[in-house]
Amino acid sequence: MKNKILEMHNITKTFPGVRALDNVNLYVEEGEIHFIVGENGAGKSTLMKVLSGIYPSGSYSGDIVFQNHTKHFQNIKDSVDCGIIIINQELALFPDLSIYENIFVGHENGKSFVNWDETRRLAKYYLDMVGLKVDIYQLVGSLGVGKQQLIEIAKALSQNVKLLILDEPTAALNESDSENLLKLLVSLKSKGITSIMISHKLREVQKIADSLTVIRDGKVITRLTKDQINEQEIIRNMVGREIEDIFPKRPKYIDGPVVFQTVHLNAFSKEINRYVVNDSNISIRKGEVVGVAGLMGAGRTELAHTIFGNLDNYKLTGSVIVYDQKVNLKSPQDAIKHGIAYVSEDRKRDGLILAEDIGQNITITALQKISNMGFLNFINQAQHTEKYVKDLNIKTPTILQKVKNLSGGNQQKVQVGKWLFSEPKILILDEPTRGIDVGAKYEIYTIINQLVASGMSILLISSELPEIMGMCDRVYVIAEGVQTAEFKIEDATPEKILEKATL
Amino acid sequence: MKKINPILKYVLTLISLFRSNIRDYGMYIALAVIFITFQVMTQGVFLGPINFTNLLNQTAYVAVLAVGMTLVIVTRQIDLSVGYLGAFLGAYVVVAVENQNWPVVIALLVGLLITIAVGFIKGFLIAKIKVPSFVVTLAGMFIFKGFLMNRTNNRTISTSNEFFNKLGIGYLTDNIVGQLNLLTFSIGVVVILFILIFSIQKRIKNTKLNIPVEIPEVFLTKLVFLIVMVLFIAYNLAIYRGISWLLMITVAVVVIYHIFTTQTVLGRRIYAVGGNPEAAELSGINVKAIIIIVFISMGILSLISGVMYASYVQNTSPNHGPFWELYAIAAAYIGGTSANGGVGKVVNAVIGSVVMMSLKNGMALSGVNANIEPIVLGTVLLLAVIFDIYTRNVRTIDLVGVYYANKHHHQELMEAKGNYAQAKTALSNAKKDGKNTLEYEYAVTSAQGIYNRVKEKIRNAKHEDFQGLVR
Repeated sequence: MKNKILEMHNITKTFPGVRALDNVNLYVEEGEIHFIVGENGAGKSTLMKVLSGIYPSGSYSGDIVFQNHTKHFQNIKDSVDCGIIIINQELALFPDLSIYENIFVGHENGKSFVNWDETRRLAKYYLDMVGLKVDIYQLVGSLGVGKQQLIEIAKALSQNVKLLILDEPTAALNESDSENLLKLLVSLKSKGITSIMISHKLREVQKIADSLTVIRDGKVITRLTKDQINEQEIIRNMVGREIEDIFPKRPKYIDGPVVFQTVHLNAFSKEINRYVVNDSNISIRKGEVVGVAGLMGAGRTELAHTIFGNLDNYKLTGSVIVYDQKVNLKSPQDAIKHGIAYVSEDRKRDGLILAEDIGQNITITALQKISNMGFLNFINQAQHTEKYVKDLNIKTPTILQKVKNLSGGNQQKVQVGKWLFSEPKILILDEPTRGIDVGAKYEIYTIINQLVASGMSILLISSELPEIMGMCDRVYVIAEGVQTAEFKIEDATPEKILEKATL
Repeated sequence: MKKINPILKYVLTLISLFRSNIRDYGMYIALAVIFITFQVMTQGVFLGPINFTNLLNQTAYVAVLAVGMTLVIVTRQIDLSVGYLGAFLGAYVVVAVENQNWPVVIALLVGLLITIAVGFIKGFLIAKIKVPSFVVTLAGMFIFKGFLMNRTNNRTISTSNEFFNKLGIGYLTDNIVGQLNLLTFSIGVVVILFILIFSIQKRIKNTKLNIPVEIPEVFLTKLVFLIVMVLFIAYNLAIYRGISWLLMITVAVVVIYHIFTTQTVLGRRIYAVGGNPEAAELSGINVKAIIIIVFISMGILSLISGVMYASYVQNTSPNHGPFWELYAIAAAYIGGTSANGGVGKVVNAVIGSVVMMSLKNGMALSGVNANIEPIVLGTVLLLAVIFDIYTRNVRTIDLVGVYYANKHHHQELMEAKGNYAQAKTALSNAKKDGKNTLEYEYAVTSAQGIYNRVKEKIRNAKHEDFQGLVR
């Protein structure tokens, strides 16, 4: 048996209302590529944050043993000093600095004055090591995501990395960039660098994993080694239940009238100087769930914002037709007036007002319903809130609970409730189940089914293909702002969708 | 288990209330400490009728600014221009009335139009053009200082019009000092009646809506405390000259803004914009319009404040204005307004202004070296914000529950504590013997984990949990 470079013992981490990690035991052997797989919200990222000291020692219970020493990381610097380096999904690069400056930010060459010559020499050296052939003077912001990823790895190498952690590194990459990255990891392995990789893509796992750990609901389900790895086994462990139990049964869709349509809709972003929505022609029928699939950065959220009238940085051409009527949606107010609602992708950033209570959040979309001559009626507010808390099964001690104290799933239900309060006809759901546990997901899916049964139409944006396959009646695929395919769900397969999503 | 002694229960409940809501009470405690300290230092003059009336009159112009500033800070902006803007508007009205013989109403109306226009321009630059409010209002600060110097022609101009006399140094009724002012005292009684009716009504309403209410003992204690406070204030004012117009206007502003911020749709939207501008925008709120409205409101309050100040000191001068905005900002922060936006009560900002002005007034009155005063003010501001940050994550505690839990889980706690101590000794022994300590370290952390969990359980106990067990 090889040496264990990392052991994590009985790691338990709780957040208010949730046990994110429950007695997690995990080990990684020296010089292997270890995968951690699990559904969204299973606790993978939390575990890596514990490991890298983002959650300091003491905020969780359990032990981290790295190279046979118990470690108590107080911050990310402690773990970096030991050679544990994490590369997050959101890259920590400075777009306005050059490549070589980026590689050495935080551990500059030289004691008080920076030795720029040496910095540039080393930068070139590490770029060669990751196989990136670009000018080191180039600004990082001008590079694509794939290349930026490699620069992060070069940066890690320059910090004498022993254990490299990559959190869903290929989620935003196209096929060939992903391929390059996987090759690089294998070549780093031969240089003695151990890696942990968090990934959803089982194809990658089968290709390069030496071992893997499956995490579900904050618990380790199993550890598999190379010869035990096969797709069925992983899925069964990841999901822990059959697909029928994840998605509530829904009746086959019977054609209804088209209630929403975009016709040659284009949105040009002045900020990044390109079309984020490129000739979109989608239609939604009454009582239908229409999916929008695509990779990260494909323009799914941009499409939603365009439809919803949130256009601060966009120039728009084309038309939107709601109930056979051409409408001009210049602001979210206009969209709401025409019966469109948008449950946003990032509920904390632009969905909820975390410091306010459930009632204040739910009623904000239609304050006219609970007010008279501009004065609020609090009894009315409480009654409405009470109703949504009950209907959506929001678990809370009182309706006066601040939203920041709710768990992710319940926060998401508040966000849904807030939009149901505006009584929409068309509901856009942008990644409605991101970061919430399986049980809450099921509840959200059940709500979706109830809503379409009552005649609402839903546009479901999701990066999870099972969700698209399990919940939609029809799906559009987009890639780089362009609508590349439309499938009836019975004609669609995950492979077909992926193929169209990676153009 | 035996039932807890009712007096102990009452005391523990009150302490729990204080500890759980220390953020809300902190400022009142600070104010009480300041009052008592100066009361002692000045041998009873500080809270005496004369100085108490003076203190409130001195506070008025800052309190009015602080109300507006709270909303500005709640929407994540800042306004540095209100000091000189207020002073300029005060000068504008005074010069119009005294030198140009305009009727007071016209002068005030033109002042109002000016300040609305100014507020709109500020708000427009900030919300639409996206110039940082710090820069816009810093520029405003320079510009209005210039306006003030031009308007006063760099001279001090005294006020003589009856309006300014009434507003600045007048009282609701003329009465002889030393006799009880009946009007003032009756107003106090009416306020008490209002408090009684409102609190009881709210309690009934909340009970109906299943919103948790305080236990009766706490409710009554709070009520009695409030009534005593109002009685004290009313009596203290009544035996001097009664209620000044400055105080009257300030109270009116506060009441209007309190209702505005807590009861109206627009108020709700302002706080939503402050709490999360992106979410507010996506919820169909016109964020830009809200920010413009907030700056217009700040402007109107600057006008009121400026005219109040000029009337109070009975002149207008190019030297008015500096530091007003900073007093207002400090008052808002002392009052617990969050720099991150979305949180802040106008009433607390007014209490914050009373804290500031009490310090100024009290130090002057007790003969503290005037050079010390700004140092103390700065320190108090800093302490207030540090306190606010420290108490941000205060968890609620129910000491009655803890009392029961300590008895109920005593055995378990002692056991866990013992195991933890044992594991620690085992580890240190192993270290001494030079053995591999890894296993022992696991034992220590897991025992510590169990011990901590028991302690947490006791810490978080609620007295309702023990209802069945107590006889």
